[in-house]
This record gives sequence, structure tokens and C-alpha cells, in this order.
Amino acid sequence: MRSVNSHPPPFIHFDHATFGFPGVVALEDISLEIQSGEFVGVIGPNGSGKTTLCRAVLGLMAPLKGHLRIFDCDCDELRCHHRAKIGYLPQKGVVDRNFPVTVLETVTMGRYGALGLFKRPGRKDREIAMESLAHVGMDMHKDTALGLLSGGQQQRVLIARALAQQPEVLLLDEPTTGLDITTQHNVVELVQHLHEELGLTVLLITHDINMIRSRVDRLVLLKTRLYAAGPPAEVLKPDILSQVYGKDLVITDKDVVIVEDYHHHH
Amino acid sequence: MFELFFYDFMQRSLLAAALVGALCSTIGVFVVLRGLAFMGAGTAHAAFAGVALGYLIGWPPLLLALLFGLATVWVTGWVEEKGRMKLDVSIGILYTATMALAILFIGLMKTYNAEVYGYLFGNVLAVTNEELLTIAGLSIVVIGAIVLFSKELYFIAFDQEMAEASGVPARRIFFLLLTLVALTVVISLKTVGGILVFAMILIPASTAYQLTHSLSTLTWYSIIIGVSCSVGGVLISSYWDIPSGPAIVLLATLLFFIAVLLSPKRQRQSLALN
Repeated sequence: MRSVNSHPPPFIHFDHATFGFPGVVALEDISLEIQSGEFVGVIGPNGSGKTTLCRAVLGLMAPLKGHLRIFDCDCDELRCHHRAKIGYLPQKGVVDRNFPVTVLETVTMGRYGALGLFKRPGRKDREIAMESLAHVGMDMHKDTALGLLSGGQQQRVLIARALAQQPEVLLLDEPTTGLDITTQHNVVELVQHLHEELGLTVLLITHDINMIRSRVDRLVLLKTRLYAAGPPAEVLKPDILSQVYGKDLVITDKDVVIVEDYHHHH
Repeated sequence: MFELFFYDFMQRSLLAAALVGALCSTIGVFVVLRGLAFMGAGTAHAAFAGVALGYLIGWPPLLLALLFGLATVWVTGWVEEKGRMKLDVSIGILYTATMALAILFIGLMKTYNAEVYGYLFGNVLAVTNEELLTIAGLSIVVIGAIVLFSKELYFIAFDQEMAEASGVPARRIFFLLLTLVALTVVISLKTVGGILVFAMILIPASTAYQLTHSLSTLTWYSIIIGVSCSVGGVLISSYWDIPSGPAIVLLATLLFFIAVLLSPKRQRQSLALN
């Protein structure tokens, strides 16, 4: 095993960080390091602070207590300039299906942060956008209206938008919600493929433990506090899971984890 | 009908109408896409209260209209951002409160003032040379700002949080948009009036929305529709001697319903349902 010192500094470093609003604690005393090139799944019941974690990593929320460091930037004051380096896929339903925008126009928006104010996207940006579309297999749909695509195709396009930022980290908030089972698998497979092909660090937030357990390097189990973080086999133990999910948890004889509250989200 | 074009006042009003039409329909794209329609209607009424106060205390009415308009958009923008109150509630309250102020200010005036009502109903045929210059100058400022920040404005209209997460200064761009909405309302007040200005902002962009799936096409359609309706409305109003504001807005409304009927989006949706 490599010694700790040979690691490069972590991309994301929560150090006893607490997040929330005055009077409401959404995440408490989180200590977590995410290294470059990792595929990390974040799981936990509804209201466990998963989306808060997401907003924190995006630099949209500063810790109330403790520290958060992303790349080489302390996020204690929300003055971070790392945002373009994190490609973000928000929860589905955030994007208006009828919004009049083509696939290529959507993906080109991924370039805007890096371009800065006043600069127009040029040929290089369109090339990057087309490359990103090719990575998700949607390049032949570049002139199609976003609203006319299926749910799975829209997710692919929005992932391409995140890729167009040429990010170091891909941050996906519930990327499979509202998709049918086959499409869910396709989307997660695409994410794994991007992680392997492009060497992207991936942070994937989900309800669906079984969908990602065989694909991620590490799982992070949240319920306001961090209950466990480690390889799936170490985290998905009945005693640990039942602390978080309580009586909602069923583990079948085939070791499939069923969380009862999952269905309430549909 | 063509002899009308040779009158100075007619040339002025056509030019003013075309400018206001272009201005309103451009900002309208972002207002419609960002879902700020009701906020704009509130702003127009607040601006009118400013005009009334201006006449009451003898200050420049358009300056006070701008102050009232800006206060309204900034307060509602702040409320939306904080999520403390539903936006339709906060605007609904401001909308009626500013209208009450306008009525109060008019009531406090010792004499009947026809000019105040000019700002309520608008009269493009009465635009003076100085007013035309003011409209032109401010239109250049607003349209210039839109062109300069168009990619950020599109992005926050698409998804403000996604824009912010991608490193775009989304909050500042949102408040810039609100400021431009207030400016547009004030610039257009004299020509189309406080009641109808919001139709000029809303209808061309909503009509274009029916016709295309592309952001850039949407913007161009909206401007073409906005300018044609304004110019067409002025011609109709002078030819048949009817008020210009309603002529412009009703023409735009007619086009809107035609677009809804012919919308390719609608046809595709009904195909999908079958």
C-alpha cells in the first residue's frame, strides 16, 4: 500500500464542516476527502443532506462551522473560482421541457463560465461542444429541440453540457430519477464510461444503492452526519445501513438492498 | 394613406414605435423565458405611480418612474432569491400598493392633469423630438447591455442555478436583467402607456415561443414581431383614428392567437398524443 504522503492533495476536502441555515442544520460535522480520479457514490434517505453536499461542492454554500477546501481554494467565504472545473447535472425536473433551445445551444452553455463575460463562443467552443456530444452519443441530434428528446436523451445532453466545461469533477444529483429502468442503467453506464475514458472524478448522488454499488470506488452514506465512507462492501453492512434507514430497510437473501422510502419519490 | 408618411409627427411616431417595439420585444425574450411576466406588469404600475408623484411634487416624472420601477424589481427579485414568499404574492401586493399610491397621488392633485393620463394610456402620436431622442438613447443603452450579456442572460433564463454552478455570475446578471426591465418600462411609458407596456414586452416573445425551438431564432422572431406590430399599430391608429396603444397591443394579440393555432409545437404535441 502507498503511504499517505504520496497522495496528491485531495480535490475536495471537508474538514469537520457543518452546513445549513441559521437554526437549521442540513449537514453536520462532515469530514471527507475525495481524491482525483475517484468514482464516489453519495447515498442516504430523503432529506439527509445530499443536495446540500452538492451545493457545498459547487461553492454555493459556505460552511457554518469547519472548513471546506476544493482544489486549491478555501470555500469558507464563497469566493471560489473553481466552479467551471466542476461539471454539474442538477436534479431532473429543474429544466423546463418546453424551453426553446436546441441540443447544441444547450451544450454550448457549458462553455460560458470558462469564456467569461463579453466573449462569444467561437469555433473552438463549438468543437468542444460537439466533442462533448459525441462522448454521450448525441452528436447526430445537435439541431434537435431539447424538449423533443426523451428523458434519457435529455440527461445525456445535460451531461454533455457539463462535459463542455472540460471539468475535473463530474457532479451528478440524482441523474436517474424519473427514468425507466433500462434508461437508468444506460445513464449510469455512460457515467462509468466517462469516468474510465476521460479519467474524470465522479461524485454521484442517488437513492438507488443497487444501481451504483458495483460501479463506484467508494460509497458515502449520509443522514445529516456522515455515517460511513468506504468501499461498497464495507459500507453496505446491515448494521450500518439500519442506523440510517431504520425499519425502512430490507436486505434480501441475494444481498439486494431495498429501502422502502425510495418509492415515495415517484 | 401614404400621404401620412410625410408628416413630421408621423415619422416621429413611427420611429418611436419601431424603437419601443424592438426594445420591448428583445427584453421580452428574457422576461418570458425567465418567468418574470407578472413582475413586469407590477413594474409598469409602480412606474406609473412614480409619474403621478412627479407631477404632484413637480419633479421630473420619468426620473421618479425609474426610481419606483427599480425599487419594485429589486425588492421582488430579492424576495424571489430568498424564497421567503411566493413571488406572485409579493408582486401582487406591490402591484396593488403602487396602484393605490398612483390613485392617491392623482387624487391629491388640485387640478385635473391630462398629461398623467397620457402616461397611463400612452400616445405615440404625441411624441416630441426630445422624447424621441431620449427613447433612442436609452434604447441603445438597454439593447447594448442585452447584446453584451446575451449569453449569460440566456443561461440564467435556462437555469439560474446551473449558470451559477458553471461559474457565471448569475446573481448579478439576474439583477441586471431586472434593471433592464425597469428601464424598458420607463422608456416605453410615454408611447404605449403604463397599462399596455407589459403587453409589448410579453406578447412578441410569447408569439415567437410558439414558433421555434431555437433560442437565437426565438429572439429574431420576437424582434420582427415586436417592430411590425408597433409600426402596424401606429399606421392603423392614424388611419382609422383610434388610440395607438390599443391598436398596437390588439394587433400583437391577434398575431399571438394565430401563432398558437399554427404552432408547430402544438401540432407535434397532438401527434405525440395520438
